Amino acid sequence: MLPAGLVRFLTEIAEVTRFTTKFFREILRPRFEFAEFLRQCFFIGYKSLGLVAITAFIMGLVITIQSRPTLVEFGAEAWLPKMVSVSLVREIAPVITALICAGKIGSGIGAELGSMKVTEQIDAMEVSGTNPYKYLVVTRVMATILMIPILAVLADAVSLYGAYLGSNIRGVVSWDLYWNQVFATLTYSDIMPSILKTFFFGFAIGIIGCYQGFNSKKGTEGVGRSANAAVVISSLLVFIIDLIAVQITDLAGLT
Amino acid sequence: MANQTSKNIRLGAMVIAGTALLIIALYVIGDKQNLFGSTFRISAYFQNVNGLMVGHNVRFDGIDVGTVKNIEIINDTTVKVDMAIELESQKFIHKNALASIGTDGLMGNKLVNITPTGVPSPQVEEGDILKTSEPLEADDALRTLTQTNADIAVIVSNLRTFTDQMSSPNSVWSVLTDTAASENIKAILVNIKQTSSYTALVAAELNAIVSDVQSGKGTLGALITDSTIATELNQTAANIQLISDSLVYFTADLQSISDRLLSGEGTLSTLLNDTTLAVNLTETIQSARNGASDFEESMKALQDNFLVRHYFKKKNKMLEKERKHID
Repeated sequence: MLPAGLVRFLTEIAEVTRFTTKFFREILRPRFEFAEFLRQCFFIGYKSLGLVAITAFIMGLVITIQSRPTLVEFGAEAWLPKMVSVSLVREIAPVITALICAGKIGSGIGAELGSMKVTEQIDAMEVSGTNPYKYLVVTRVMATILMIPILAVLADAVSLYGAYLGSNIRGVVSWDLYWNQVFATLTYSDIMPSILKTFFFGFAIGIIGCYQGFNSKKGTEGVGRSANAAVVISSLLVFIIDLIAVQITDLAGLT
Repeated sequence: MANQTSKNIRLGAMVIAGTALLIIALYVIGDKQNLFGSTFRISAYFQNVNGLMVGHNVRFDGIDVGTVKNIEIINDTTVKVDMAIELESQKFIHKNALASIGTDGLMGNKLVNITPTGVPSPQVEEGDILKTSEPLEADDALRTLTQTNADIAVIVSNLRTFTDQMSSPNSVWSVLTDTAASENIKAILVNIKQTSSYTALVAAELNAIVSDVQSGKGTLGALITDSTIATELNQTAANIQLISDSLVYFTADLQSISDRLLSGEGTLSTLLNDTTLAVNLTETIQSARNGASDFEESMKALQDNFLVRHYFKKKNKMLEKERKHID
């Protein structure tokens, strides 16, 4: 007989998979809750913008300042914009955005749906004839899928601006030269995979948050646990997806 | 509802900003790689492209003007490289420009360099094939290096025989290894060192003297610098020599004379020492004076004498004539 922990884990995986396939089934059905989708987009996208922008700005600045000494050692200070822009666009900005959103949105969705589940609002919805999955899950997951990439693009821009300021703290790189170097360095193979993977980040954050909220245990403790689990699991998934994305881009010869 | 609209507007602004940024970035990157804008294609056949890849830059006069679009192998010694070049650069590139494969910096990306030859030629057109100059190949360098190595081997073997001969007992080496010889050489060297230091001192003094002399300081200087003085002095010295020689004899004579004078020998001594002689001499002189006055009287009487009177008259007339002539 399998150990109880493993059984629980496999059951959980199966539940998540069923939950996810249900999302694809439901999204193809007509009657898309567009107003609710926009509302969720506003909360998920617009409300996270400030946080994401600040984080991205600081990351750009810090990465630049941290990279400088090593490059100076090689006498390759002029390569600072090139190196920093590649690392920011390819990896740091998307992942930071996804992690921030996993923390902010994942926990928010988990707690919101969890409390709805605990207070039996979801059951009430089902009774009243509204498809709770379609109204609550599909809109939120669609919102995260679409908002995280946009946040990531904005984070790219803000972090590159931060890197520009970082380059000019000790050295001198003119505005024109900086952007010239950045865009001369970046290629489609840098931007496309990094934007593409943010869709998957968004999907993971949304679906895990919704799943944890939908399957919240009874009581306020259950709500807290589902919010916490949403953050932990979606953060972990972000890294796992990142790993897979790197493998795929590497295999495709885009690195 | 108004609240919802304002939220939607803000959301829309954010989404537009995000997508616009993405599109701008994609456009700028594409523009850098000449994906947009009008380009024309030219090709070049290389023997070896040294790892050049599609997408690498094409530089003309060091400026990025295009990208490599296609690389295909034509046959075992020819690789065709197609390049997309900006239309704006077309008027600057001529048909006889040379394409070569280079590297951006020491370890940067490969790139195709198009170099103008400077010889007039029509401008390049779509589908033209540029001449190429082959890049420096590592193989060629190694081949040259192999030849160099063979030469070095010969040189080294020669050097070895030479050193062997050098180290044999009957060679210069034995002199070099002889300790006594080295001691002697050391002593010699010490002596030479001392001598040379003395020489240096002497030379310095000599130098000072010579410089003084040259500048005309001191007698010697004057002597050397003034040639007339030198000759005069020479003569003077010779004269002095003569005088001093004569003086020696003269003083010797004077000595003997004074001796004889003192001893009363000879006429002068008698004259000096005998007082009666002086009196006699005075009388003699007196009588001689008297004789002379007598002679004068006799002569006057003679002038009046008829025998010789004519002579004297004639003489007086001539004297008078001369005087008139002068006046």
